[in-house]
Amino acid sequence: MNESSKNDIPVTRRFFLKGLGTAGMVGTLATLSGCKNAGKPSGGEGWTPQQYNAPGSWPVQVRGRVPIDPNNPSIVRDDRKCILCGQCAEACERVQSVEGHYGLPIKDDITCVNCGQCALWCPTGAISERDDIGKVLQVIADTSLHVIVQTAPATRIAIGEEFGMPAGSIVEGKMVAALKQLGFDRVFDTNFSADLTIMEEGTELISRIKAAGAKHAQAEGGHAPTALPQFTSCSPGWVKFCEYFYPDLLENMSTCKSPQQMLGSVAKTYYAKKKGIDPQKIVSVAIMPCTAKKFEASRDEMNSAGKLAGTPAMRDVDFVLTTRELARMIKGKGIDLTKLEPQGYDSLMGEGTGAAVIFAATGGVMEAAVRSGYFLLTGQNPPQTLYNLSAVRGLQGVKEAALEVPGVGEVRIAVAHGLANGRQLLDQIRADKQAGRPPRYHFVEFMACPGGCISGGGQPKTSVPPSDWVRQERMKSIYTIDAKLTNKRLSHENKEVMDLYADYLGKPNGEMAHKLLHTTYIDRSVHLTAKTKA
Amino acid sequence: MSKGVLVDITKCFGCGACTVACKLWNEKKYDEVNKPTLGEKAQLVDINWTVVSKHDVTDTAGQSAWRFAKKQCLHCVDPACASSCLVGALRKTPEGPVIYHPDLCVGCRYCMVACPFNIPKYEWEKSFPKISKCQMCSSRVAAGEQPACIAVCPNQVMQFGDRDALVKEAHQRIAAEPRRYVNHVFGETEVGGTAWIYLSDQPFDRLGYKTSVPKESLPAFTWQILSKLPLILVAWTAMLSGIYFFNKRRHALADGKQDSTGGPQA
Repeated sequence: MNESSKNDIPVTRRFFLKGLGTAGMVGTLATLSGCKNAGKPSGGEGWTPQQYNAPGSWPVQVRGRVPIDPNNPSIVRDDRKCILCGQCAEACERVQSVEGHYGLPIKDDITCVNCGQCALWCPTGAISERDDIGKVLQVIADTSLHVIVQTAPATRIAIGEEFGMPAGSIVEGKMVAALKQLGFDRVFDTNFSADLTIMEEGTELISRIKAAGAKHAQAEGGHAPTALPQFTSCSPGWVKFCEYFYPDLLENMSTCKSPQQMLGSVAKTYYAKKKGIDPQKIVSVAIMPCTAKKFEASRDEMNSAGKLAGTPAMRDVDFVLTTRELARMIKGKGIDLTKLEPQGYDSLMGEGTGAAVIFAATGGVMEAAVRSGYFLLTGQNPPQTLYNLSAVRGLQGVKEAALEVPGVGEVRIAVAHGLANGRQLLDQIRADKQAGRPPRYHFVEFMACPGGCISGGGQPKTSVPPSDWVRQERMKSIYTIDAKLTNKRLSHENKEVMDLYADYLGKPNGEMAHKLLHTTYIDRSVHLTAKTKA
Repeated sequence: MSKGVLVDITKCFGCGACTVACKLWNEKKYDEVNKPTLGEKAQLVDINWTVVSKHDVTDTAGQSAWRFAKKQCLHCVDPACASSCLVGALRKTPEGPVIYHPDLCVGCRYCMVACPFNIPKYEWEKSFPKISKCQMCSSRVAAGEQPACIAVCPNQVMQFGDRDALVKEAHQRIAAEPRRYVNHVFGETEVGGTAWIYLSDQPFDRLGYKTSVPKESLPAFTWQILSKLPLILVAWTAMLSGIYFFNKRRHALADGKQDSTGGPQA
């Protein structure tokens, strides 16, 4: 109509009706032709991995992924990077025997032992540790706080890999130098508290063995547990696994805290007192090869120093960083780890023996405990063969040995790493217990991760999925440090540990030691329906 | 045969693999901060065609428990969205999926009003928005493959197959384990039936499913009125025309003029 007025054509009734009719016809035709070709429906422009794209509804063998609670303190997942390759589920189910080992429907928990093996297997880095670097940088920047850091045995032979060094490179001194450059006020060694752990755990083992011999559960120590075999308690992933699936065997779990938590509680009591620092002003950071350590530090009961001081809100360990996080932190500050001059750990909690460093490898806690246990039982240092206890070394899933200890007789030990391997031992031990048979072992070491801490869920991803080759290289280095680079190879020869007992704790398993260095466990079986063996 | 999916809520542990598969296959963006696909705040929005929402419930043993509910378009047997669409942009395919053709859509959003489950979403943040909803991987289904979300599920929560067979299967599962499930197959009869049907140990309204919907198909329901429309239209026209002619004649007579139609003299 605009058209017509512009050209000054008079609008007659006939003209108007003709125009209306034509427009209607054109519109109808256009609509009809459009409807016939509806175009592509939306969706389907993307892809899924090849195994999911086949006719029929056959189940794909390796599929989906593990469930992760958004509140998981150890691991997080970025969905944008997930390609549904199924590797995490594979590691969780086959290596760790967690996923698929509980019934559905679930209860009020997403069953996870926080081991982080899924993060090691994840090819795209969708699953990673919960990043706490920002929080640690913040406390370092606060000059009113005294920030201490401890480094686990396994970190020193792995972090070099993040800086292009060969697998298993020993970079202990360089790592200490880097930590000092990052601004930590004191750098301590978890090896110190690993030696402390051996003193406590060894003493506990001896009292259990003696109690079993005396057949008097309440004879000594009153509340001390007497069940045999004693289980190691250093691996928080393993501890949580036992709480979930074998709560009936928790009485076998050593009441000793892990080295990380021991150092944490000693730092905010003994160290604070010695140095005259307000424990509230101490921030305790731990560098660990482990994601479960983040969970462990957040456990309610891990506030012994706070409880002692009447400030229960104070945590024994405030922040835990994985080896990978420390590497990112060092890179973030533009520090070249490989070029640093090695430095030593700080005193009071910086000394560690060869027995402590081997905690990093499967069988290491056992070997260290045997060396000092021999001493605690006989008053003499062990024979040379116990310095190289090859029966418990190496990557075989389950290892056993029997040792002749003068005055005690045969001590039977076993070692398992990787929780699926652990189940083999646990099912036997449970069956023995239920049948009333005498325990087949005195002492059993469990490590959640295959290979032990050297291949923990927080270690550098030097091969994906983690390979035995890398594990072997790291283990070699651990045993090199023990045999060649430390002059002491027995936990009870750690002078700083002995000073700690003399100045503060009293004797191993004494009252103060129990308050600070021992812990309790929770029956978590109510949060899942554990599958029994078919 | 029209395809369907049987979802067993009790088997879901909330990994969210299905939501990732949907994003991968349909190239949808992520916005986990504002539009999460998993957890308490998970919501179907334009970029989330499927979500897994978390619900705190009490399980059959009286213990507090978590349940995860997979949500997506239910693909009604007789979809109200398709019947409401003026331009045929939404259609029920013979294989089962209710699919959307963006090229036809005029953006009227009648489907959003029509859907009893509030499924179609509008791309409010786009300059030229379209409707957005789960297509049940129509191209995969047409190729004989199962939808992406089903293929990737580690627990086989979902089973893809002929709808009629799945309804039978659902009742068999309830009969086999009457303590495990509530005696309700959600989607069997709701709004005349949906392609996706559900089993659960919880009443479905506690898991965020809309159970207060009629049992009849909505298009069939509205058809009861709509089918009478032509008759009403004709009758209404006839009546108004009658009144018009009556009045016209009355005025003519009042003016004293001869009735040109030749009707009877007053």
